[in-house]
Amino acid sequence: MAPQLTLQAPLELPPAEVPGYLDRLWGEALQESTGAATFTLLVWEPSWLQQQLIRTGRIDGPLSGLLNGELLEAARQVVGEVGLPTSTAPMAPEVAWRLGQQAGDHSAEDLRGQFVDRAISAHRPRRLITLAPTLAADHPLETLVAAYCPLAEERSGSEDACGDVVVLRGGMGAIEQGLAMLQPLIPAELPCWVWWNGSMDESPELLEALAVPPRRLVVDSSIGEPRRCLDLLVDRIELGQAVNDLNWLRLRSWRESLAMVFDPPRRQLALDQVVQLDIDVEGNHPVKGLLLAAWIADRLGWHLQSSYWIHGDRPEGLGIGAEFQRTDGQSVQFRLMPVPVGISKTHPGALVGLRLICAPAGQSPLCVILCSESGGCMRLEAGGVASMELAEEVVPLPNESEEMEMARLLAGGHDSTNPLLAAAAPLAAKLLPS
Amino acid sequence: MAATQTNPLRVGLRQERVISPQCLVIFGASGDLTHRKLIPALFELFRQRRLPTEFAVLGCARRPWSDEDFRSRMAEALAEEVKQHQSAWQQFAACLFYEPVDLQQDEDVVRLGTRLEAIDRLRATRGNRTFYLSVSPAFYGSGCRALAAAGLLRDPARSRVVIEKPFGTDYASAEQLNRVVQACGQEQQIFRIDHYLGKETVQNILVLRFANTIFEPIWNRNYIANVQITAAETVGVEERAGYYESSGALRDMVQNHLTQMLALTTMEAPGRFDPEAIRNEKAKVLQAARLANEDEPWKCCVRGQYSRGGSPAMPLSGYRQEPGVNPNSTTETYVAMKLFIDNWRWQGVPFYLRTGKRLPKRLSEVVLTFREAPVHLFDAAGGSPTANQLVLRIQPDEGAGFVFEVKAPGSGMRSRPVDMHFSYDESFGEPSDEGYVRLLADAMLGDPTLFTRSDEVEAAWRLYTPLLELIEEAPWQLPVQPYEAGTWGPGAADSLLADDGLLWRRP
Repeated sequence: MAPQLTLQAPLELPPAEVPGYLDRLWGEALQESTGAATFTLLVWEPSWLQQQLIRTGRIDGPLSGLLNGELLEAARQVVGEVGLPTSTAPMAPEVAWRLGQQAGDHSAEDLRGQFVDRAISAHRPRRLITLAPTLAADHPLETLVAAYCPLAEERSGSEDACGDVVVLRGGMGAIEQGLAMLQPLIPAELPCWVWWNGSMDESPELLEALAVPPRRLVVDSSIGEPRRCLDLLVDRIELGQAVNDLNWLRLRSWRESLAMVFDPPRRQLALDQVVQLDIDVEGNHPVKGLLLAAWIADRLGWHLQSSYWIHGDRPEGLGIGAEFQRTDGQSVQFRLMPVPVGISKTHPGALVGLRLICAPAGQSPLCVILCSESGGCMRLEAGGVASMELAEEVVPLPNESEEMEMARLLAGGHDSTNPLLAAAAPLAAKLLPS
Repeated sequence: MAATQTNPLRVGLRQERVISPQCLVIFGASGDLTHRKLIPALFELFRQRRLPTEFAVLGCARRPWSDEDFRSRMAEALAEEVKQHQSAWQQFAACLFYEPVDLQQDEDVVRLGTRLEAIDRLRATRGNRTFYLSVSPAFYGSGCRALAAAGLLRDPARSRVVIEKPFGTDYASAEQLNRVVQACGQEQQIFRIDHYLGKETVQNILVLRFANTIFEPIWNRNYIANVQITAAETVGVEERAGYYESSGALRDMVQNHLTQMLALTTMEAPGRFDPEAIRNEKAKVLQAARLANEDEPWKCCVRGQYSRGGSPAMPLSGYRQEPGVNPNSTTETYVAMKLFIDNWRWQGVPFYLRTGKRLPKRLSEVVLTFREAPVHLFDAAGGSPTANQLVLRIQPDEGAGFVFEVKAPGSGMRSRPVDMHFSYDESFGEPSDEGYVRLLADAMLGDPTLFTRSDEVEAAWRLYTPLLELIEEAPWQLPVQPYEAGTWGPGAADSLLADDGLLWRRP
């Protein structure tokens, strides 16, 4: 993490003066600099977890909006203390909500929007606008403005293309009031990205107002109520908006590992003969597992026949079962099960394992098992798998931060949704039983 | 590489590296390379979603075309692909622009700068520009100068120049051209293209050597007896007589493609996978390479030229009968030579390079022959045991093979060679990208790993300087020897190895 170099300390201005100030800044004070002809990045940055951890004195400030090891460790401790299942991910909204029930009045300097990961600042956003809601609902609107130029080591030549940062901070009501000033701040001629860096459940009206097409939307479908996450993805895709889902991007290594198993042409025929697909996920958030299943089903041309809840008494929640029909009319059984883990990963619903069983006629069945680096494959190895041809792979854990993923998107984006996600999301939504 | 079947789970997963918003400027946009290679490669990248939305191609040439002319001409040239992917083409074609530009005219270059700024605004390409010089080599230097003078190469992180082969015609001209282009921009901005390096299997030489522990310990003079590098073509000179007459096989194939294969096969392990670290090692090994006999180069090199051949049913013209070729031409269409590398790893190991046109097979391969076992305990089915060979097949049937001895079935203990076979098709079944797809993407990513650096180019030319001087000053000492079209070259090439008690591998 590297603080963005600003040409001036962030200046607090009355909201109404911000557009005029920026015009003057670029017209007079920064005449020697080149305004970066890049993009606008608009970030919804509630950081509720970090705010609550600071308020309850569990971590020190400043409030940066960035994840780090100390924050995640503190959140994991909270999971145990408040009696949430151990599989609860630190980023699950219920962790912050439970913290909200606890007493505390610690505070720290709020630097949201002023700390920018180097991976993102290297792309020189022309304007970085951060909406930073505070815990105190009655906090009045504060507006901070600063111009910046790349750090010395980020400079690439004689042209120091510069940008500016705008932070809108305040209680929810104040933030909503501030929305009116946003539109003139977004240069019409440049692409605009809206990064909804919070739960997909919260503030639907605000999300609606910010994520107006053709702005490119970045969300994380692992955070929020699963039905709402999937429906929102589907709605936006159907609108023709470019949607990027960080939860989908984190599936990259799973999709790659599974594709690798079937790269040899001698194995590809088995893909037409799949009879069973099992996916295990951490905790009770099935969206990631459903997206993976939907991707497989879409690629292999399966049709969904039915889906249903699988009841049980496990604290992690309900499983999901479904039946697909293959292109040759045969049936494929699908089960997604929440499983307990000792130490959960950062985001809810991380994948633990996948099992794909293919039964080619006249040949011994092929069983493909993928398991996560930290999870192990024991549960999926049970049930007669030993008699099959076994292809087993360990999927490496993604080691990139949200900001790195975001930077990758900003590095070269598209104004349409990735076709694989566009096909998988509607099917995943249908897979989730009502 | 031919695809055997497509893995449905593989579709759309090749998005590992992201190309930044940018404008690719092609000089020589009305030429063959643009519609045969560059635009098809870019369209392929587009269809794989590896190009960002904020992308543009600006074609530049002297012809007074409009944007629409350029788009429709490219659509005609790619008619088959356009038919198959009509909607994708419509979107891609919207990225194509054209500006009539003569790089020798200052006002044209100024106008180019203005047009690029307009495209930056229109397509939000963020001022990132890749200039591709697909023009006559005579204009490489002046083209770079014009771009630099217009300030278009000022920012080394946002502007780069791709230069096609040939980079110079000998050591002196390459050195001079390097001086010119380096005066226009930094070395990191110069991408000298060698499309052989875009081939998956050429890159695989690095992975095979440095990602496996079993090869590197034996990859040296203690275990390897000799190395043969072959690039054989079945075609003749085709429509390239004009260029080929002044170039010949030595300049057209050996100095670049074969030398790159030699460098990748023989370089030391880089400290890290980093463009400069890799290019340092390639340059070092080329600087240590020399002709087997520099004082009398005619003793370690054979030149040949194909003559009439083929069969009555399918007769093949001789080189001198080809359209556009001087009937008394002494240009070589075949060359074979022996090299040494004077370093600790390779001292004393002969490297045999050969390339030619109108040979019986189209293939490129590197063959490492290992030393024989010190004692022969077993009778060999073939009379004498076959030395172990590692064959790296660059094309076709890309892959690798390892030849080793096993017990022949039956009573007794006779040995015979067998071939252990790895094939890209069988293992992956997925077509690899055409070389230009990979290289264009790398250039736009600013990754120079697969491009040749100035010192590499100069070292490669320096290596063949004694031969080039000999051909220039005393060609009678290294005459072109005729060989029948469709055969494996002149007999003298066999003698080159026979003198060392060896044979060319007959693939």
